[in-house]
Amino acid sequence: MILSLLVVTACGGGGGQSGPPLAGCKSGTSLVTFWTSHTPPDSDSLRTIVNAYNAQSSVGCVKMVQVPGSETDIAKLTTAVRGGTGPDVYMLDRFTVAERAAAGVLEDLSQYGAADLASQYVDFAWQEALFKGKPYALPFDTDTRALYYNKTVLQQAGVTDLSALDPAKGPPTIATIKAMADKVNKKDSSGKYTQVGFIPWWQQGWHYTWGFVYGGSFFDKSACKVTPDDPKIVKAFTDMFWNWSRSLGVSQTQTFLSTFSPPNQPEQQNMFLLGKVAFMISGDWVLGNIKTYTPNLQYGVTYIPVPNQGDQPATWAGGWSDVIPKGAKNPKAGYDFLKYIAGEPGQRQYVKDTQHTPVIKALDQDASLFPGDHQFFQKQLPAAHSRPPLPVGAFYWDQLSTAQDAAVRNTKDPASALAAAASATNDKLKQYCPLP
Amino acid sequence: MQSHWGAAVIAAPRLPRLTSADWRQLRTAAPFVLPWIIGFFAFTIYPIVYSLYLSFQQYSGFGDAVPVGFKNYQHMFSDPLFFQSLYNTLYYTALAVPIGLVVAIVLAMLMNQNVREVAIYRAAFYLPSILPLFALTFIFIVLLNPGFGFVNWFLSLFHVPTINWLGEARWTKISVVLLAQLGAGGPALIFLAALRAVPTELYEAARLEGAGPLRRFWHVTMPLITPVILYDLLYGTILGLQIFTPAYILVGGTSGGAAYTAGPENSLLFYVFYLYKNAFQYSDMGYASAMAWVLFLISIVLALIIMRWSRQWVHYEGA
Repeated sequence: MILSLLVVTACGGGGGQSGPPLAGCKSGTSLVTFWTSHTPPDSDSLRTIVNAYNAQSSVGCVKMVQVPGSETDIAKLTTAVRGGTGPDVYMLDRFTVAERAAAGVLEDLSQYGAADLASQYVDFAWQEALFKGKPYALPFDTDTRALYYNKTVLQQAGVTDLSALDPAKGPPTIATIKAMADKVNKKDSSGKYTQVGFIPWWQQGWHYTWGFVYGGSFFDKSACKVTPDDPKIVKAFTDMFWNWSRSLGVSQTQTFLSTFSPPNQPEQQNMFLLGKVAFMISGDWVLGNIKTYTPNLQYGVTYIPVPNQGDQPATWAGGWSDVIPKGAKNPKAGYDFLKYIAGEPGQRQYVKDTQHTPVIKALDQDASLFPGDHQFFQKQLPAAHSRPPLPVGAFYWDQLSTAQDAAVRNTKDPASALAAAASATNDKLKQYCPLP
Repeated sequence: MQSHWGAAVIAAPRLPRLTSADWRQLRTAAPFVLPWIIGFFAFTIYPIVYSLYLSFQQYSGFGDAVPVGFKNYQHMFSDPLFFQSLYNTLYYTALAVPIGLVVAIVLAMLMNQNVREVAIYRAAFYLPSILPLFALTFIFIVLLNPGFGFVNWFLSLFHVPTINWLGEARWTKISVVLLAQLGAGGPALIFLAALRAVPTELYEAARLEGAGPLRRFWHVTMPLITPVILYDLLYGTILGLQIFTPAYILVGGTSGGAAYTAGPENSLLFYVFYLYKNAFQYSDMGYASAMAWVLFLISIVLALIIMRWSRQWVHYEGA
């Protein structure tokens, strides 16, 4: 044991000349550290991509490390970068690229020639990767949101006519969905919900989702002000959070959610997959989860419901990107990996494994990547909204979430909750104005 | 014990003149102490001083810091989340410290029973304190599930209606207080040592005078463990003000169902949690540093109040 440790240490100390830095890499490559906060099943796919890169690359040898963090929490990254122990490549939520670039955490990728790649990428995703006109990230994936429905649950509740949910007929109205959902609600003898038709704010039914569906605008670029108090957003909050929660019963609904969707729940226990709810707003990645965890689920996908018959459907697209943090030890080899994982080979693998949507134009044309319902999500992409990439994006998200929570719990009316979010965010935003 | 320290501090004699032999001795000893001193200055004193400097800057953690005077401190007065986080933290501390004290004393008394199998009790009561808080919190989420959790099932035997422990603002902080009690084994050990230090002849004398168990506890045990109670009160208050981990694990990540950012109605937005968010999520190190200094001042004030108050009830043996 000790002998083998000595041997390993001796090899490691010898520098990259003699052998590859890691098993599975070619010799002569240099070590690239890649950090991600993704968890299974997505991280499993990332590992496949890393292994495939290592097998063929004569430049870099990537070591993938899963680190704590989330969409907006990058504490591990910032402290490591400040301490001089940051990674060479990091997976970052794309809507925060401008924010992190403004803070000085990221390397400008134009020095490696990234600006030449612009034409390869879907435009909205490329725009999100820019700060002051320069690329600070390469877009990795995207996703759109839609309405999932569980056919079995609906039929058991006596909703047999599902023709309104056919995407060919356009988006269903919110009233239609509510009428169907109400038939599904079930309580036990003690008055607790055991099944609920539709909880609009659960999963991806965020403030942004319903705000966009109601035609709201979250940011006024010319005035350099966030506008969550837009009357259309207030109306969305009132209808979908305040009134909906009240009609289901505020505390009964919360108890139902805490029971069947507690904090840190693994994906395989998702209420929709288990038939506890009939409808769910979520993204295309759920298709992959269904395939893995409940392959026999009888479900369908349609547009997110709209307030009035004939309204245009709406959704929004998010997604991740890959960046080189400041102080990377091996940025050149890091960029080589960046081009691979955020390029065609990486995105192709990721889309196949996890059913996210690629952001490379060439892959968008490849129908084999979008089997079954995935095509529906991909078709929504050209018209999809995206969140304003603000230097205070994480703060704004939290402020909107606080207002949403207050509306759902009927503790603060949407108009004043959203006005408070506007003033707090604008207060923080003004130091960056005017925005480039 | 405590009284001796106290006396030493109050009546500390002036440093005597050192002889050359003393200096030589000090020279020999210095290199052995030096690593600690360097560490203390590099990792404790320097960050403290640096954070004071940062609290007057606007600083993202990278690039140049911009001096802003007292702006970070002024901002607190107009920041509702600052006050909410302060309220949440004081609420938690005011509940967790006294409850923790009682639980620790009761545990210590159970550990102090004069039975042969006491070692097993001691191990059992202490065990939860050495489990990682991360694992404990996850177990707690399951125990507190409103539908399937053990806690609600147990309460339902007494016809207590369903409590949504982690899903309703009025219960979340109480849940964290309950969770903190699983770590009561640590303080209980200290109380156990204090209980065992009470001279048995005092109990015998009290018994001869006809005092029952309750009177013996109240008039013999309690006065003699008051120094440890003071220690626990101070230590618990300072730790309580820094509560972070359980809230961070419960609501820090983004889970599919969670639309809120720090528990329902931000009810688990504790002071240090909000400080952390400012530093690492909103890239506002200056504001976070200013918050750290305000917390430091609050801790000092509370500690001084407790120290002064303790003069009325702490009984130092032989003082």
